[in-house]
Amino acid sequence: MAGNKGRGRAAYTFNIEAVGFSRGDKLPDVVLKPPPLFPDTDYKPVPLKTGESEDYVLALKQELRETVKRMPYFVETPEEKQDIERYSKRYMKVYKEEWIPDWRRLPRELMPRKKCKKAGAKSKKAEDAGKGPSLTNPVDVLKKIEELEKKGEGEKSDEENEEKEGGKEKSKEGDDDEEDDAAEQEEYDEEEQEEENDYINSYFEDGDDFGADSDDNMDEATY
Amino acid sequence: MTQAEIKLCSLLLQEHFGEIVEKIGVHLIRTGSQPLRVIAHDTGTSLDQVKKALCVLIQHNLVIYQVHKRGVVEYEAQCNRVLRMLRYPRYIYTAKTLYSDTGELIVEELLLNGKMTMSAVVKKVADRLTETMEDGKTMDYAEVSNTFVRLVDTHFVQRCPLVPATENSDTGPPPPAPTLVINEKDRYLVPKLSLIGKGKRRRSSDEDATGEPKAKRPKQSTDNKEPIPDDGIYWQANLDRFHQHFRDQAIVSAVANRMDQTSSEIVRTMLRMSEVTTPSGAPFTQPLSSNEIFRSLPVGYNISKQVLDQYLTLLADDPLEFVGKSGDSGGGMYVINLHKALGSLATATLESVVQERFGSRCARIFRLVLQKKHLEQKQVEDFAMIPAKEAKDMLYKMLSENFISLQEIPKTPDHAPSRTFYLYTVNILSAARMLLHRCYKSVANLIERRQFETKENKRLLEKSQRVEAIIASMQATGAEEAQLQEIEEMITAPERQQLETLKRNVNKLDACEIQVDETIFLLESYIESTMKRQ
Repeated sequence: MAGNKGRGRAAYTFNIEAVGFSRGDKLPDVVLKPPPLFPDTDYKPVPLKTGESEDYVLALKQELRETVKRMPYFVETPEEKQDIERYSKRYMKVYKEEWIPDWRRLPRELMPRKKCKKAGAKSKKAEDAGKGPSLTNPVDVLKKIEELEKKGEGEKSDEENEEKEGGKEKSKEGDDDEEDDAAEQEEYDEEEQEEENDYINSYFEDGDDFGADSDDNMDEATY
Repeated sequence: MTQAEIKLCSLLLQEHFGEIVEKIGVHLIRTGSQPLRVIAHDTGTSLDQVKKALCVLIQHNLVIYQVHKRGVVEYEAQCNRVLRMLRYPRYIYTAKTLYSDTGELIVEELLLNGKMTMSAVVKKVADRLTETMEDGKTMDYAEVSNTFVRLVDTHFVQRCPLVPATENSDTGPPPPAPTLVINEKDRYLVPKLSLIGKGKRRRSSDEDATGEPKAKRPKQSTDNKEPIPDDGIYWQANLDRFHQHFRDQAIVSAVANRMDQTSSEIVRTMLRMSEVTTPSGAPFTQPLSSNEIFRSLPVGYNISKQVLDQYLTLLADDPLEFVGKSGDSGGGMYVINLHKALGSLATATLESVVQERFGSRCARIFRLVLQKKHLEQKQVEDFAMIPAKEAKDMLYKMLSENFISLQEIPKTPDHAPSRTFYLYTVNILSAARMLLHRCYKSVANLIERRQFETKENKRLLEKSQRVEAIIASMQATGAEEAQLQEIEEMITAPERQQLETLKRNVNKLDACEIQVDETIFLLESYIESTMKRQ
């Protein structure tokens, strides 16, 4: 694709005058850096509108900004624990109204689960009446673990718990979906489990055992 | 959504609802529709916080949910609705101009809370109004109810979709989320409520200025024991109707600027008559006969029928084409060309921006190209009567900023540059889009700068707030002038100066935001109207 380079003079395919400069003109330097962050403007901006209504809207805006901070919808970020607890912090807490949404209008999964174990155990026992065999009750699970502990398999209690969780999921998966009300209990326990490990339980929905199969195909660990 | 829009949404959400809600909201805007667990996993926030954030966002109509197959509920954010939060003060002010303080407070409560029942709104507004009234006077619920009903009648407030009443709940497990429905006929139907009562003044013992721990105050006793008569019927502000009002205002003031007061009054009358008959996205209003207009003119205007006809003819002949004549029956049928009017307003905005940014000669070239649609470079120089070198410079400047675009017309199939026409043209829609994007960036910059200024002077602001609180408490307990003087001197003169500067800057930045938002509204309306026609 060398074309006519080196032979005779280069010829442009269009009228060079049209672009705005002629041949041999000194062109401005090539810009090698991005444009400045705060470029100078030739023309200063037009002054803002002023008047009674503008002032009123401005005041409204500023008041609104302050008001929204005090509403219950403003969710505060939980502060990290400070080294020294300041005495004055107790007395400077802003009082905020509690807001309870209308749960009838929201998806059920958004309701917060009560973390009260005693009440939870009672309600779960009540629900248990409608459920199938025993694997679904964490109280039962705990009892089983105790029994197994006595048999000397105490160190595996965590695994047992997880496997039981996996088992519950398998049994439940056929009937309802995860978010369904019937799986409320499992969700509660799942949440507890979730905070302890990094894996989303849904990854293992299809009956995969947690990490159990991965060793089978690896021949490397035979030192 | 563009990066600029996402940034602006993020800043608005953070100011209104805090960082957690902002994180969830921005994530949803970026990634579209997602279920609960995926949100929690991707953002790295705990499930509880995600749930709380979603509740807040749904309450404020910023996120909607949908039930998909297999019972999975997915949440989707409405980016456009988030950007509306910038306009809240304008909505509230409009309500004030139309329905005075009561209307203002009703709309404010509805915007702050997302959606509320009528009884809750009436009670809250009555309480707030009572606070501002003189001692001994209270605001009656009936008056507030009346204003509420008037707001609904003029469609500024509308019902939210309802949870369908389930007759038989034994037909299986309840669905994971309710499907909300609304019958269009019921949208503006006010339930028959008899709200009797008066606003309550907060007891003065609660307003403790000595800094007693506020947490000790008992939770506000709501009347939860009595059954709420309109339970489940929620109302929200109808932003489209406000936008319609703003659009009408813009058209009327444009006519007033271009012609005179009387013609603007005529246009205002025509728009008022078409408020309920014309759907909000229509390109022009329903035809109105000159006789009807004459009858509906405001009482103070004593112009005769002939004068009205002359005005209408003038308006219809105007090159801007705000008003068009669609027939001759009834003394002449006239329509208002809403789409054309919005187009003219957007074009005027573009021209004004070019003038202020590049100078009046550039503006002349811009208007020339707008008028002639397509022009060659040589023709631009000739028509604008500007020397060639400067004209080229200006054209290229505008081209690089995308106000003007090039249209190639090849003479030969090989598109050889020497045998191609290059015409300059203005594509209003794309220029409007570009300008809108710039506006979003501007507002985001303004908010960031304001937050920066406030953060820089945080220590000083806190100090001044404390001093004010001390002064207020001392005044309440009765202190001498000398002591107050001493406390006031805790803030030194240079610090006072600094505070003054800060206040001035923050006010300026806030005012800028409000005025850029007006431009945003015009451009958005034009773009929306154009998209609807395609």
